[in-house]
Amino acid sequence: MSHNHRAPVIEPLGPGADLDRSRSLALRYLIASTVILGASGLLGLVLRDSQAGVDRVHDGWWYAIMTAHGLGAFVGWAAFALMGLSFWVLAQVGFPLRRAGAFLAQLTWWLMVVGVAGVVVTCLVFEFGGSWVFLYPITLHGAGVWGKWTAFFFSGSVLLVGLAIITWCLSILDTVTGPALGAVKKGIFNRLGVAMGFGYVAPKRFATESKSVPYSVIPLTVIAIDMIIATLPLAVLLVEMMVQALTPSVHVDPLLAKNILWFFGHPVVYLLLFPSVALYYLLVPRYAGRPLVAGNIIAVAWAIAVTANVLVWAHHIYIDYPSGSPQAALNVTMEPLTFSVTIVSALSLYSLFFTIFRSRFQWNAASTAIFLGLASWMIAGFSGLINATIAFDQIIHNTLWIVGHFHQMAFLGIGFTVIGATYAFLPQFVDKPLYSESMARWHVWITFIFTMYNSSIWMYQGLLGGPRRFAILPHRYDSMNQLAVPVSLIIGLAQILFAWNIIQTMRGKGVGRTEGAGIGSTRAIIVGSLVLTLASVGGWAAYRAQASTTSSTATPATTTTSGESPEFTAGKQAFASAGCAGCHTLKAAGAAGAVGPNFDVTAPDEAKVIDRVANGRNAMPPYKGKLTTEQIKDIAVFISQSEEGSG
Amino acid sequence: MGLSGLTAVLEISFTIVCVLGIVFVIGIARSTRGDGPTLATDQAALGEREKTWFAVVVVLLVSVLVATIFFTPYGRSAGSDAQVVEVQGLQFAWIVPNTPIKAGRQVEFVITSKDVNHSFAVYNSAGTMLFQTQVMPGYTTKYVYTFHKPGTYHVLCLEYCGVGHANMQADLKVEA
Repeated sequence: MSHNHRAPVIEPLGPGADLDRSRSLALRYLIASTVILGASGLLGLVLRDSQAGVDRVHDGWWYAIMTAHGLGAFVGWAAFALMGLSFWVLAQVGFPLRRAGAFLAQLTWWLMVVGVAGVVVTCLVFEFGGSWVFLYPITLHGAGVWGKWTAFFFSGSVLLVGLAIITWCLSILDTVTGPALGAVKKGIFNRLGVAMGFGYVAPKRFATESKSVPYSVIPLTVIAIDMIIATLPLAVLLVEMMVQALTPSVHVDPLLAKNILWFFGHPVVYLLLFPSVALYYLLVPRYAGRPLVAGNIIAVAWAIAVTANVLVWAHHIYIDYPSGSPQAALNVTMEPLTFSVTIVSALSLYSLFFTIFRSRFQWNAASTAIFLGLASWMIAGFSGLINATIAFDQIIHNTLWIVGHFHQMAFLGIGFTVIGATYAFLPQFVDKPLYSESMARWHVWITFIFTMYNSSIWMYQGLLGGPRRFAILPHRYDSMNQLAVPVSLIIGLAQILFAWNIIQTMRGKGVGRTEGAGIGSTRAIIVGSLVLTLASVGGWAAYRAQASTTSSTATPATTTTSGESPEFTAGKQAFASAGCAGCHTLKAAGAAGAVGPNFDVTAPDEAKVIDRVANGRNAMPPYKGKLTTEQIKDIAVFISQSEEGSG
Repeated sequence: MGLSGLTAVLEISFTIVCVLGIVFVIGIARSTRGDGPTLATDQAALGEREKTWFAVVVVLLVSVLVATIFFTPYGRSAGSDAQVVEVQGLQFAWIVPNTPIKAGRQVEFVITSKDVNHSFAVYNSAGTMLFQTQVMPGYTTKYVYTFHKPGTYHVLCLEYCGVGHANMQADLKVEA
């Protein structure tokens, strides 16, 4: 279908505009981030399969992989890709990178690549498993798994990523406040106001020479300002963590540290969302063939956003309210502020959906990704509002519901703008046609359907109380975990289509067909997706049926406990109630902890156990005072008499 | 309203809102299929209506806020006859007293952490979470709760605390 009769919505730039700098930088960001997507996606697959009992990973490595996956996918892929795409969005609306901006953009790329590489090495080589939020002071409590130098280098690597965010913000601010803005008053605050869209509300005060600021510029300006404010305190905390790793006497108040982390941790989510919104503002009108439906009210929403964004962090710590601290009051204050920051999403979704409404929307792989991204943003927004409500948060906080919510938001609501923009822009970047439109459509639909499916499993498990960040979940979640195995595998396989399409496009193998027909038709894709869904559910059901037959016929292993001494019996009880099983393996106690020594292997004698339990050693805390001397003796009797092979 | 009541409210309202959202999205997608002229004239009117939508959103948000703000876990204090139960979290165990808790009488949990952040989450034998609260080093967190049924309750850690996080479990015995 041709739409050439309609005037292009975004005016092409005049000759001489220097687009090359923006183009080559955006391409470089896109390639690096897509490589990181592949790697961190693979790690995610390993995590889910291990939880389901397929190829179980040792606990220490599971948490290290979790840390690398989180930081890799969130920062190394989504944020990194969007940082690069933002340069191209700005160039498309008439704001190409200038010299200083381009220099900062190159610096950002290197800081990011080195920082992410440092995270990957400290996690995947040195087994750092502090999780992507590295909640102070966990970095410095490796429990014998990682030490001070790993903590030092991990914090340093994240610091480089933080610096990358700041240099990126500066490059954006340099670009948006340049002459392309056409601000009448040249003061820096006036220019920032114009770039944030204040001219839509106060056209005289924030006057522009010829035309109003393009909508896509607004969210990028807003996030560039906020991320500088939000990142600086975290950078100080990271430096403190590096110092504390080597000089343990230095330390920070943990509650203050928690607030600093989330002062950064909330806006960094919008470091992904707001550049995505800029992409939506650019691409939706382009495919709908008409300008963005937007009242001036949208500028009001962005003015709320720029302020509220840095005043809502406490919604991440709603269930922190230690005695004698003002945290509960802060949490209650930040609930309405958090609500207010959702207004900008509600208005943007209105603008974007009603731009599409009754337009002759051009449906192709890129625009489908953008449209499905919008739908996901809306759906994930609903669960986000639940998370933002204290009453509901106390139910779902730190459960798998949250994991479902942010995979829906980050991978679909945000990631689909990256994927859509890749299909839309890659041909422009390399000046070659897309390799296969059909393959792209299959990739988009399969990823959408199965990521929604995968997230729903998590959210359902979370409502059942399923805790997040558990290498091994309680058995009542087994069945749902197994259901997620084929689902996550299909998501992973679909990304091969993405990678292949990119590679072949860059190699110039595309033929330039734009319409999806035959195997690329919507009907074929829907049928194919249904078949895949049925196959994955069927496979799971068959597996469950087989597993239940096996377990019902197997004789449960029981240990006879006749003839035990009273110390032995008391020791067994104390072993269980003191939580020894949390870290130690001892078959006789049904304990499978993997942090401390395995008693079936090390077989310590009674005296040694008494000493270690009473006085502690390394990660082992002293239990003198927590347990009576008698209890400690009983535990020692129990352990020394029940080690494997000791009869 | 207990947490189970809140969970039911959450599940039902979330499902309804999602279904409405999906219907809306499908409607938007289908509206682009027609062959007639597009409603170019709609543009200004739709932009104007965004102000109405702004007002609707504000009203909706205020309603949710008002309806839920009283169900926070904050500011509960224990009565004078409450049983005080001291709990310490550490990498990677919960140290809970062996003395059983009495059902039907208020419990004031006084929770501390020896090392890093933990979250004290109590589940009943059916695996339903009853409550959770964060614990951090250098601070004391108090949580008041009454167990109505005797039995064994299970404690998990719900704040990631290191390599033994999933193993950090304990039992609470509640007697009649």
